[in-house]
Amino acid sequence: MRSASDGQAQPLQDLSALADGEVDAAAAARACAHWRTDPLARSSWHAYHLIGDVLRSDELASDAVADAGFLGALRLRLADEPAVVAPRPIDAAAVSIDDNGAPAARATGRSWMLPAALAASLMAVATVLVVTRGTGPEAEATLARARPDGGGIAAPRGEVLQDAPTLVADGKLIRDARLDRYLAAHSQFGGSSALGVPSGFLRAATTQAPDR
Amino acid sequence: MLNRLLTALAFSFLVGAFALPAAAQSPAAGGADTPVDTREVRAWLTRMHDAAGHRNFQGIFVVNAGGTVSSARIAHFCVGAEQFERIDSLDGQMRQVFRHNDIVHTLWPQSRVAMVERRDLLTTFPALLQSGSDHIADFYDVRSQGSERVAARDALVLLLRPKDGLRYGYRLWADRITGLLLRAEVLGEHGEVLEAAAFSDLTIGGRAQPDSVLAPMSKLDGYRVMRPSLTPVRLEAEGWSLRQPVPGFEPVGCVRRTLSRPGEVDAGATPQVLQAIYSDGLATVSIFIEPHDPNRHTRGVQASVGATQTLMRRAGASWVTIVGDVPASTLRQFSAALEYKK
Repeated sequence: MRSASDGQAQPLQDLSALADGEVDAAAAARACAHWRTDPLARSSWHAYHLIGDVLRSDELASDAVADAGFLGALRLRLADEPAVVAPRPIDAAAVSIDDNGAPAARATGRSWMLPAALAASLMAVATVLVVTRGTGPEAEATLARARPDGGGIAAPRGEVLQDAPTLVADGKLIRDARLDRYLAAHSQFGGSSALGVPSGFLRAATTQAPDR
Repeated sequence: MLNRLLTALAFSFLVGAFALPAAAQSPAAGGADTPVDTREVRAWLTRMHDAAGHRNFQGIFVVNAGGTVSSARIAHFCVGAEQFERIDSLDGQMRQVFRHNDIVHTLWPQSRVAMVERRDLLTTFPALLQSGSDHIADFYDVRSQGSERVAARDALVLLLRPKDGLRYGYRLWADRITGLLLRAEVLGEHGEVLEAAAFSDLTIGGRAQPDSVLAPMSKLDGYRVMRPSLTPVRLEAEGWSLRQPVPGFEPVGCVRRTLSRPGEVDAGATPQVLQAIYSDGLATVSIFIEPHDPNRHTRGVQASVGATQTLMRRAGASWVTIVGDVPASTLRQFSAALEYKK
């Protein structure tokens, strides 16, 4: 998203660069401060990510219903979370019904949710920044972080075959031993073609299930 | 506003939790991110392939796939047109692989079992490259990402991004001097690293020691020797075909073979299967076809290990297993296109 037009205001350019992980610490701090104060910046920030997501995968664009579901669930969970900031005591006036017909006490809940959401969002930004730099000495750490489930397996999201259980290897061996022989036979040729001997051939040699 | 914020939060979570798109798609800090033209792509990939075949090198190679890290010591020698290779696995049960040109011996010293194979039936990557139709540039967007240091060597970084959803991306580190592949990552659709392999220690250009490969290959005394049979066949002649090809994937070979598990000696228990292999120049897909056996083939399976996906299903009187270093949806396309007519 470097292609952001030159006529764009500098703060927005910073924000765009931040979304791409292409800024230094000072610019990141500047962009975050701007994000905090300017509603326009926040909506731009959202738009940048949306654009990025759509560019990367059409699925992310089409699935508005899933997004809404996710948001709904997230909101419910957030509402259930104990407040980390002690809320003000609810006074008698606050229990009255507000414009939307919902008890105004809810609004008290939102008053901490906003900063919490803000902090969480910035934390997510920090994660992305760290990860973006991951080709240096911390590459291994990046690799580990790329798998939040710790299992080291990218589960095929949204790609489940009907009536077929999805098996996922979680360690040295696949649980279903009948897969071993197919994987071994495939890796004899698979990969060895592509990147020359070391990767494919060696992968076959090192990842074949040991004889037991 | 709260809605918008929460949406922003949700997307940030998505980005932070699963996607890592920035990690995969933006250049390393300070590195160039420039498109590489078709001819140059071919030149680099050919160099990588040639270096793996024609250079002397020795080192430790580490593979991280499917949540498992395994390493091996590899030595490769070249004398004239002859290639010698020795691989010692350093993790798990001891296993040694010796290769002299097309002949491969895999030894399990503890159980005294040896597997002797020929791997000359499939010539894949160079053939695809030399056929003139340059598939890699058709299906991958190749960018140079500057240089980095890997295994104490200066490496050129190439990012290959798939142009469609049928394949994974790759990031490759090639030795600037020799072209040897020093490190490789397979990247999922959101840029996450599915598999990584790298030399952690490497010496290029040492003295060739072919005897260290030939001597153990000539001494199989005391080993139970398995010789899996591989017969080249044509998929169509066997009654099968792909109704419509999966874009980019070309047939590179088809064999009738036994599927022996490493170390499994009872050949009678290993059924004969048909294996058809397809490649787009980087990713490979194998289709295995065998008679359906209600005792062993109970229900469909979909599995995922690192970058390798597996799909198993029944097709009439046959049992089809498709394995590939591609997204599961690609395997389903192969599965849907496969048909039997006889």
